[in-house]
Amino acid sequence: MASSTNVGESAQGRIGGVDSPNPALVRPRRGRRSWHSGIGTIPFLVYLGLFLVVPAISVVVTAFQNGAGTFTVSNFIEAVHGVYLKSFINSIQLSFAAGVVATVVGVLAALAVCASSNRIVKALVSSGSAVFANTGGVPLAFSFIATVGNFGVITKLLTDAGFNPYDHGFSLYSVLGLTIVYQYFLIPLMVLIMIPPIEALRKEWVDASSSLGATRAQFWRWVGIPLLAPPILAAFIVLFTDAFAAYATAEALTSGTIALVPIQRGALISGNVLAGQTNLGEALGAGMIAIVLVAGFLYAYVQRKASKWLR
Amino acid sequence: MVAVTTNVGRNGTEPGAANILKLGRAFRYGILGLVGVFFIIPILASARFSFLGNNNTITISAYTQLFSTQQFWSTLFLSVKIGLGTVLLTLALLIPTVIWIHLRIPKLKRVFESISLLPLVIPSVVVTLGVTTSFKGLPNIIMGTPVILALEYVILALPYSYRTFDSAVQAIDLKTLVDAGQSLGAGWSKLLRFVVLPNLRSGLLGAAILAFAFCLGEFAVASLLSFTTFPVFLVQVGQVAASQAVALSLIALLFTWMPLAVIIIIFGQRNASSKKRAVSLATTIAQEETTGIA
Repeated sequence: MASSTNVGESAQGRIGGVDSPNPALVRPRRGRRSWHSGIGTIPFLVYLGLFLVVPAISVVVTAFQNGAGTFTVSNFIEAVHGVYLKSFINSIQLSFAAGVVATVVGVLAALAVCASSNRIVKALVSSGSAVFANTGGVPLAFSFIATVGNFGVITKLLTDAGFNPYDHGFSLYSVLGLTIVYQYFLIPLMVLIMIPPIEALRKEWVDASSSLGATRAQFWRWVGIPLLAPPILAAFIVLFTDAFAAYATAEALTSGTIALVPIQRGALISGNVLAGQTNLGEALGAGMIAIVLVAGFLYAYVQRKASKWLR
Repeated sequence: MVAVTTNVGRNGTEPGAANILKLGRAFRYGILGLVGVFFIIPILASARFSFLGNNNTITISAYTQLFSTQQFWSTLFLSVKIGLGTVLLTLALLIPTVIWIHLRIPKLKRVFESISLLPLVIPSVVVTLGVTTSFKGLPNIIMGTPVILALEYVILALPYSYRTFDSAVQAIDLKTLVDAGQSLGAGWSKLLRFVVLPNLRSGLLGAAILAFAFCLGEFAVASLLSFTTFPVFLVQVGQVAASQAVALSLIALLFTWMPLAVIIIIFGQRNASSKKRAVSLATTIAQEETTGIA
């Protein structure tokens, strides 16, 4: 997504440069001092600080305290043991698997859409993706239960045909099931993210390669794949974090039977707290932030690589 | 990726400019068809499930029972109220901020875009816990009522709403519009009302709808803060009556999809030609304005 913005920005910059050779003309008239120019964003930043940064910091700070408020790391030690360690492993495995599947399918679908000359198909897929990417949560879980749950419509059809998937190791209420359900919002998200970079590819580099006489295989080997790899990787990280933080779908689908970090956290908030675990929830929260931050830094790094390519 | 490459190679018959990216027809429709089936089956299955009575009869009792439940309407109403509050707050926050950034500090555009993605970094479950610990002291009118939900939803929907509005501002030539308006003597309120905001209608509507849809579907924060919003009600129903829950899910999905689809279809088409029109429209309006003043 951001890589496409990049293309747009640089293109606009060029146009702007041609249109207004004298930059002084487009300078804002009032106040050129630098501190002045940030004033308009203060309400926004204050709001964000109050309702996002303060809560997040308080979680991290509390994670390092025991019930009496003194410094300790015992919350973290407990958070990497037993069911909590298991929940981190489950969550990471689930998000990774779901992310990989959605990335592969999403890229193929995005390529298919971009290659299609049929305007209706294009409009249908891109608007459909925008709609489905915003699906999720509880309704999604229930509609999958109705489909391939214990008594779902498809399960019934298959059982009548002599193949009950639940007798062959399949369960919707498992990590595998969650991986499938998550595809419902991850694939459209991937398509949405990948369409702009692929379209950008079409416009600028395809012409250049073909006028230099490249074949398709050569184009993909030397231009297409190197150019698309950073946005694909970046998109994968977005999908990973999206799947990692998903709480509602997992909670509604498994009712907490699979240990996943967000669900353990939820249970701790809701008051299922044992004595001596006062700030364990905060430690799990801090752990989640840490994992997503790592993903975020990777994303930024890959994006920087990508924008270098696209400049 | 490998699959694409080989496929391209196999079907690569015609060399030439636009054709390098062309994939085989069968491959294209195969992929899109498979993905499409994956997306349609759960909807159809849910519909069938929700109309299924005892002994394979067809019945609408799941729906009639739902609609006669008082809680269905009260939770829906609550979620709509929270949604409207969130939308108003979001717009009040986004419009001045994004316009300011694009006009005054365009160099920081990407920085603010990243800032708007921060809520993705901090999972909503974590934010909720932070809210309960750090806002204990806030007056009851905020913490004890769904107001806190609206306040937090503004943040949690920000990655979607900010991006939508930001790209709408990016798509118009804001600087030229404002310069044209100002040189024709329009003040800021006139500029916003007659030039800038009309050109950003699709972006505003898009941001508003995304924020609203988010509020109608959000479960984690609401349930952890013990407010019975529509999605929370949905889960409660799901624990006692499966077919009602599925019926309710279908309704909820339609609630999210319909407005989104309408927006995307209407504004997607308009956007194609709007860039040129926006400039000419703005100049026309500014002209009318100045002639009016003169």
